[in-house]
Amino acid sequence: MNPMPCHDPAPLDGILARYPHDEPSLIQVLQDVHHAYNYLPCDVLLKVAETLEVPLPRVFSVATFYKAFSLSPQGKVIVKICTGTACHIRGAPQLVDELERQLHLKPGQTTQDMAFTLKTVNCVGACAMAPLVIVNEKYHGNAKAAEMTGYLKTGSDDVR
Amino acid sequence: MSAETRVESKAAFEAWRDRLRTERGGRKAEVLVCCGTGCLANGARDVAEAIDGAMRARGLDASVGFFEKHTGCHGFCERGPLVLLRPSGVLYTRVKPRDAKAIVEETVEKGQIVQKLLYRNPETKKPVEKYDEIPFYANQTRVAMRRIGQIDPTDLGDAVAAGAYAGMVRALLEMKPEAVIAEVEASGLRGRGGAGFATARKWKSCRQAKGERKFILCNGDEGDPGAFKDRSIMEGDPHSVVEGMVIGAYAVGAHEGYVYVRDEYPLAVVNLTLALEQARKAGLLGKNILGTGFDFDIRISRGGGAFVCGESSALMRSLEGKVGEPRAKYVHATDRGLFDLPTVLNNVETWSDVGAILEHGGAWFAGMGTAKSKGTKAFSLVGKVKNTGLIELPMGTTMRHIVYGIGGGIKDDRPFKAVQTGGPSGGCVPASMLDVPVDYEKLTEAGSMMGSGGMIVMDDRTCMVDVARYFLKFLVEESCGKCTPCREGLKQMLAMYEDLCAGRGREGDLARIERLAAAMQLGSLCDLGRSAPNPVLSTLKHFRDEYVAHIRDKDCPAGICRDLVIYDIVAERCEGCRVCIKACPTGAITGELKQAHVLDQSKCISCGSCFDVCPTDAVVWSKKTANAGGKEAA
Amino acid sequence: MPTLIVDGRTVQAREGAFLLEAARQAGVAIPTLCEHPAVEPYGGCRLCVVDITRASWDGWQKMVVSCLYPVEDGLVVSTRTPRVVETRRVVLDLLLARCPETPLIQGLAREHGIEKTTFAPNEGKTDCILCALCTRICDVIGASAIAAVDRGIGREIAPPFREPPDRCIGCLACAEVCPTGHIKYETSDRRRVIWDKEFEMLRCPNCGRAHITKLQAAHFEKKSGVPASYYEPCDACKRATVVASANALKIPRPGQTPRQNPGQV
Repeated sequence: MNPMPCHDPAPLDGILARYPHDEPSLIQVLQDVHHAYNYLPCDVLLKVAETLEVPLPRVFSVATFYKAFSLSPQGKVIVKICTGTACHIRGAPQLVDELERQLHLKPGQTTQDMAFTLKTVNCVGACAMAPLVIVNEKYHGNAKAAEMTGYLKTGSDDVR
Repeated sequence: MSAETRVESKAAFEAWRDRLRTERGGRKAEVLVCCGTGCLANGARDVAEAIDGAMRARGLDASVGFFEKHTGCHGFCERGPLVLLRPSGVLYTRVKPRDAKAIVEETVEKGQIVQKLLYRNPETKKPVEKYDEIPFYANQTRVAMRRIGQIDPTDLGDAVAAGAYAGMVRALLEMKPEAVIAEVEASGLRGRGGAGFATARKWKSCRQAKGERKFILCNGDEGDPGAFKDRSIMEGDPHSVVEGMVIGAYAVGAHEGYVYVRDEYPLAVVNLTLALEQARKAGLLGKNILGTGFDFDIRISRGGGAFVCGESSALMRSLEGKVGEPRAKYVHATDRGLFDLPTVLNNVETWSDVGAILEHGGAWFAGMGTAKSKGTKAFSLVGKVKNTGLIELPMGTTMRHIVYGIGGGIKDDRPFKAVQTGGPSGGCVPASMLDVPVDYEKLTEAGSMMGSGGMIVMDDRTCMVDVARYFLKFLVEESCGKCTPCREGLKQMLAMYEDLCAGRGREGDLARIERLAAAMQLGSLCDLGRSAPNPVLSTLKHFRDEYVAHIRDKDCPAGICRDLVIYDIVAERCEGCRVCIKACPTGAITGELKQAHVLDQSKCISCGSCFDVCPTDAVVWSKKTANAGGKEAA
Repeated sequence: MPTLIVDGRTVQAREGAFLLEAARQAGVAIPTLCEHPAVEPYGGCRLCVVDITRASWDGWQKMVVSCLYPVEDGLVVSTRTPRVVETRRVVLDLLLARCPETPLIQGLAREHGIEKTTFAPNEGKTDCILCALCTRICDVIGASAIAAVDRGIGREIAPPFREPPDRCIGCLACAEVCPTGHIKYETSDRRRVIWDKEFEMLRCPNCGRAHITKLQAAHFEKKSGVPASYYEPCDACKRATVVASANALKIPRPGQTPRQNPGQV
């Protein structure tokens, strides 16, 4: 394992205390861990595998299968573009282009200064307001590429 | 008002409900602000805060009979943020925070209408005051969505006053489990998640399966992009789901249930969690429900961002903490499902219908719809249509009525091209089939399928080859990767489509695509792979000429495929409004106000944004020729 | 006992068997890639597809994988209908695109009339067909050191974090069961390396050869209770020991009663 700084175990202990220590709890535990640490750190995954008594390879399998999880640290502001069908035909590709231009990122990447992470999401269910840009859980419907700078600012207002 | 004590008899329930109704009937006014995810994306939170502030400033609070509530999705998302007033029934549309003062001081206090906030009928040009006089709503028959937009989803009292749990009370206190199944059978209810399997038959199989431990599951994964009816039900009326699941559990003899909610629906998780707590406190869920001795409780499980987990066997693996790999369905889930135990999995909308069916009777539900598709269906009408939103209609309504009667026709009055239904497993209904009555069989016959009810309207600015390519790309990202035909087949199919869209199509491509499609339909492990070719085959069937144009002529008739078209500005038609300059993502257009604008081909990426916004048709596109001065495809 | 017909031959199958077993019983060969007697059926490669029907189905056929479909009385199975053969061809065509230089796949494809893939060959050539025999056998052995990682076209078999797997005992079962030889390893008297993990070997006290890893012996001790020291002698020396002690016995001739020899172990 790459030597990594060990993360504060307190959030993890709190999370593990909330669920039965068995395999069916795995995904819910990982959800909470991801929310607390902003990604899935590998030392935390080790502890999860041990506590839930699931072999680490299976935990890693689950962590890499589900796209809600990132195994590398994410930026302070997470920008999501919905790439559902309605959003696609109402201009989501242009929004992705604009973000690639502004942030110099491809979807899945994080800026060097850890300020922004760009992700695409396969449908957030706000299809009537297509296309959508979501900045740190703030939804912007009928989004326009020209207003992207404004949307990005809303994320910095309530930094995680 | 929550129940201070647990409800343990029909009399107690009815007395409680009557108290709730009387108390609500006595209110001076209720201001209902739609806070479904769609309106929230349009700034509804700020509107709600502004109204709340304005009401408090005028001393209009609960103590004097004035209430401000947040509701779930009304469905008329195009016109949001929406504010509904009771008891008058007035609906205000496109409300901004600055309108709050007028709404409160004029309408709430004095009963006077704020004209500019009313919906205006585009045909008659007349404003419409009342919610149920607006054609968008008047033409609907809301069953699964019966309470959404009318209640605060976080208030159990609202839900009960509006009819929640009446069906459950009847089922558990007046009927035997077999009779409950018979009622559902009489209704003709079929699964609303897409497959359309007869619900009563599924319940019967599970009831008959051996074993004491059984499960009731709710599929809230709603992966079909373009569909959001389940989100609206879970967010806007979570008790309808709880009620349905308790009835189902009672019918099959299960004591444990899960609602699997897609990771992308955080508000649904919040509202469902609250609903479960409230239901337990009131004795409507958990141990000894309604004092009958029947135990059943529900837990929520969140998805992890995987479309394949909408497939029932993959969903069950996910509940077990595993990767979402589907299983062969040679053994039914009603015999061996979650943890290899008998399981009933139904969709959110199905569960919501169940409560209504037990309340009003199976015959009532079967009185709507068509011969083989009874009842109503929720549809999300999105895309290039004027009135985008969520609607519920009797089965058998024609596509024409949906798109034009309720949808108001194509946005910007462009020509209609197709409606895509059934998500990535579905197909396109072209103009020639607009009079198809929408039900399970007819849509399948037309080469598409019902799916989750997503209806994506497409106009002439949609390239059908690109649409098929889009769905393939979607599925490539979502395939679990276990079986060869889907994992490798989707990759290869997508590669062929990227060639088509980039002008690299060759003679024989269509035959190769059809060969691969057939193998994927027959050989894939699960329905993701088996139905992946549907958008391909459906667009090939109805829009073959577009494919031929891409292959033979290297042309995209819709002007969408960026490698095949170039855009330009016709100086004589340009009025210099600068709208295109603002829309262009690469700064390729320059020009002063009132001067003809100029498009620099070296910067142009052919995205078409300028064409979409130009008010004078000054932007044109044409087929890229070999010697065009345009930029080479990246 | 369920009776079914496979390619016209009547078979009385074992209750609980899958179609593949019944077919083999009938002497009908069905190609497979992800199937192996040591592990549960997987249904991933889709090569073993067959068409099934019943008298009551009026000619309607259903395509299923024979490794996972349970035998049923009255089932009629056809293992080489045109659409079955075509589906197998496409599967192999796709696998050949994925693994254009893998002899097993080239051979199977050739048997089905495919010399070269009609699809775009994989740029990053691999021998792994994602049959998951390796992960399944590792689970059976009880090490569970590797698993399928990621999903869709990015799916691959790897240890956690793509680092040398902590739980691997170096038994080489994954490499042995891998049908294409994709899993590489090094083993000698001095050391064994697989999945980039290096293993200390136990040496036979008799001849000095190393044939099992320390971790593997310890794992078997944990599972079976038999002490790890039992695994130290190599098989050849173990056999020699047994034969030597057997030679000290008087081996009875047929018809004679055996006589215990004092001092025999």
